[in-house]
Amino acid sequence: MIRALVMTHGDLGIELVRVTEMILGPVPGLTGLTNRGKSAPDIVAEVQRWLAAAPTADGSEDLKLILLDDYGGSCSTGAQLACKGDPTTAIISGVNLAMLLGFVTWRESSDFEELAARIVTKGREAITLVGRR
Amino acid sequence: MEVVLARIDDRLIHGQVTVGWSVQLRPDTILLADNAIAADSWQSRVYASSVPPHITVSILSVARAAAVLAEPPAEAERLLLLTGGPSEMAELVRLGAPLRQVNVGGLHFGAGKKEMLPFVYVDQQELKALRRLLDRGVTLTAQQVPGGREFPLELEDLRRMEELF
Repeated sequence: MIRALVMTHGDLGIELVRVTEMILGPVPGLTGLTNRGKSAPDIVAEVQRWLAAAPTADGSEDLKLILLDDYGGSCSTGAQLACKGDPTTAIISGVNLAMLLGFVTWRESSDFEELAARIVTKGREAITLVGRR
Repeated sequence: MEVVLARIDDRLIHGQVTVGWSVQLRPDTILLADNAIAADSWQSRVYASSVPPHITVSILSVARAAAVLAEPPAEAERLLLLTGGPSEMAELVRLGAPLRQVNVGGLHFGAGKKEMLPFVYVDQQELKALRRLLDRGVTLTAQQVPGGREFPLELEDLRRMEELF
């Protein structure tokens, strides 16, 4: 099973996970995390704890996505420092609800690289000028 | 070179610095003084990559940063100086960096720390380092973001914190 961590400023990520589960039901392996109250080393340590907490009992490879609200902030730096080029983890910034719905929909049917690419595309497609005055 | 902000922030280079303060103060360069990161090229690249391309990033050891800051200004460069804790900032000043004002921007909770302000938690070492800065005539102000409330940190405030340990 591919896991995902949604790490953001404030409660944005926790709420995105909550709303995803409100729409699709409980999602095992989808975790929200805030950077609130954490220094740079604290954020790195928190991500490392999540990376190490492999729940796969079936012996399959523990593949992980980390979704961030913005590139260039403490979440983004902390995720990169925690993963340090780990090939079993992909980091994606700019998380939105459409990306999480896509993650849940496709994670069983897509391979890891394909899933990451589809989520990025889905997130971009969801940003659209819906109407004009 | 003009230091437009000297900031203590245990998140180092992050949004409050690269967006919040940088939009307000328009630094040409962000100088991060940190021994561990300066000695690790990969960590340095990660931190440098989070800075907008129009701002130069320099990540130096504390001693090297102090030497750069102590040099007579050669050009009209606007510099935002960052350290991860009060000890590094106090060391910069001890080594000759001519800083008159320091912004305490964020020190998060951790083991052995007590709350000074909702965004400033200090342990005894950090408190001593803040005291060293005051003793050298540096003015300390806690403020997280531009336009946010400013809290002067004076000797009385530090003494009150010392009594908690």
